[in-house]
Amino acid sequence: MPDGALPVLDVRDLKTVFKTRSGEVHAVNSVTFDVKPGELLGVVGESGSGKSVTMMSLIGLLPSPPADVKEGQVLFGGQDLLKINPNDLRHVRGGEIGFVFQDPMTSLNPVFNVGFQIMEPLRIHMGLNKSQARARAVELLELVGIPDAGRRLKDYPHQFSGGMRQRVMIAIALACDPKVLIADEPTTALDVTIQAQIIELVKELREKLGMAIIWITHDLGVIAGIADRVMVMYGGQVVEQAPVRELFGNPQHPYTRALLQTIPSVRGARAEKLNVIEGQPPILAGAPTACPFRDRCPQRFERCDAENPVRRAVGGAGHDAACHYDFKAGGPHVG
Amino acid sequence: MLDDLKPAGKPLVAVDNLKMHFPIYGGLLRRRTGEVKAVDGISFEIFEGETLGLVGESGCGKSTVGRALLRLYELTGGTVKIDDYDIAHASPEALRKMRPTMQMIFQDPQASLNPRMTVADIIGEPLREHQAGSKLEREDRVLELMDQVGLNRDFANRYPHEFSGGQRQRIGIARALALNPKFIVCDEPIAALDVSIQAQVVNLLEELQDSLGLTYLFISHDLSMVRHIADRVAVMYLGRIVELAPREEIYAEPLHPYTKALLSAVPEPDPSIESSVERVILTGDVPSPSNPPKGCNFCTRCPSVMDVCKQVEPKFQEVRPGRFLACHLFEYPTPDTNESATNGAG
Repeated sequence: MPDGALPVLDVRDLKTVFKTRSGEVHAVNSVTFDVKPGELLGVVGESGSGKSVTMMSLIGLLPSPPADVKEGQVLFGGQDLLKINPNDLRHVRGGEIGFVFQDPMTSLNPVFNVGFQIMEPLRIHMGLNKSQARARAVELLELVGIPDAGRRLKDYPHQFSGGMRQRVMIAIALACDPKVLIADEPTTALDVTIQAQIIELVKELREKLGMAIIWITHDLGVIAGIADRVMVMYGGQVVEQAPVRELFGNPQHPYTRALLQTIPSVRGARAEKLNVIEGQPPILAGAPTACPFRDRCPQRFERCDAENPVRRAVGGAGHDAACHYDFKAGGPHVG
Repeated sequence: MLDDLKPAGKPLVAVDNLKMHFPIYGGLLRRRTGEVKAVDGISFEIFEGETLGLVGESGCGKSTVGRALLRLYELTGGTVKIDDYDIAHASPEALRKMRPTMQMIFQDPQASLNPRMTVADIIGEPLREHQAGSKLEREDRVLELMDQVGLNRDFANRYPHEFSGGQRQRIGIARALALNPKFIVCDEPIAALDVSIQAQVVNLLEELQDSLGLTYLFISHDLSMVRHIADRVAVMYLGRIVELAPREEIYAEPLHPYTKALLSAVPEPDPSIESSVERVILTGDVPSPSNPPKGCNFCTRCPSVMDVCKQVEPKFQEVRPGRFLACHLFEYPTPDTNESATNGAG
């Protein structure tokens, strides 16, 4: 991945708010990130950290109300996706930006056969006729490793296993040669051996097709294996972002550090006692005025209660973290 | 290291040839057309004070084993002895008297707690049902239990929806502890929780085991968490146990090809190790338990499959002290030629 390449997707200061009866919930707070062509960006965070809402905000998949994408820019192909009209956005979504969701059972329509569902984007976005679309659909199913593709086009989603369904979802997402593929927990519902198959498949497809991938997960193990760069989210914000080896080897945010210590491994030495992050994730009511991690943070000091930290460059190239504490100096950041 | 391998004491739970088949009804007259062999003849023991980890992929029958052990199902065959009582053939009254000894913690703390009961009612329900002590004594016991699992006493009159997932799981644990059980089946107790909360619950379970001398069957698909909590690990595939061994040995040197593939498939949360992990990628999917393959259940996906595997079912036997295995590779000397011929399949 050349560092100098222009990002294919550039998100700046994205803010999404949900209006509820008990006030506003600030689910996404000033999230800024970009993805370069061909890069695999991993997004890690716990439930409620805002990782899925961020991705859904940027292609207008959130129902409004209650959701309101308040501020920010989403630059893609020379236009701001938050400003363009819904019709144009529809062509980007499913066309140039593909999506794979967590649960392959609920994201496929049970009453249509998979052939129809793969051909649908091809006919709408690419304007192919029926026989062209069919030929392309067979090609796509073969690409994602479904045997006997021609015959299986007539099958319905329930006739596929979980792993095979996720392959179908990937085929649909890839149908129109997207520049960016957003995969939201694509392997979470699958067993480990099937997860390993899907991860191998995505690695292969990426080499073959060269699209950028945003891979959302809560599993740091998956991220370590596939990502070029990782973005860690907590409480609706990006708290740290770095190239994968840098992040795992030299984490600079207390949340990332704690998270890496809580997860056991099947390899290497076994920890006698698991490290714990005490407390609960924050409730995101109201605009944030302080660091979202402060209640669980061992490094907490006065400034953490007074001011929400912004991301600043730390450690090696391309590494930034949103924390008032400087682990290198062993004290608060100066300035 | 060595004292790790020798489980102390006598078996608290002894399972012999447990079978749990569920009928399939079909056709116009809803006749019985077949059966799902969810658990098909498994045997193992759990020693006092031990945690046995039971791992496997979805549909392999691990939860069914957990439920069958507590006789939440009527067994198709086999015996289950807990503390020398035969659970499988006990009368309903006798079974009810045994219930306090054996309890269960469920996967989904949302679904396993009654939303209309307060926390105190939920934790106190087993005490009421089994008439343990007076009302005042029961109230004291509930508060004591809440302390034990790290719940704030002031929240005794709140409802489950007011708690987070991790706290709800603590309520479920307190309920399971109410009657001083000896044996607890933990059915995926951390699967629904976030990573940072999982560690809290696992540490709590370990502390309780130490202080109360509990014996656990820990059912999970998370191999790294099982490595942390279990003393011995049993691996299930399609209704059978394929390998059972002490924790250190099974993770250091898995013998069964399925265990090898399963362990190698677990992603490594460290990029510097991850790139050097050798993966055995299994092809295909798990066959249907209503129509398992002839011979070894794993023969359709096994990278080291031999002719005999497709004909004869391998016996589950002790191949080394403390290590049980059901695989033909360990009945016959390893045929090298065969392995190299089939390894390319992945």
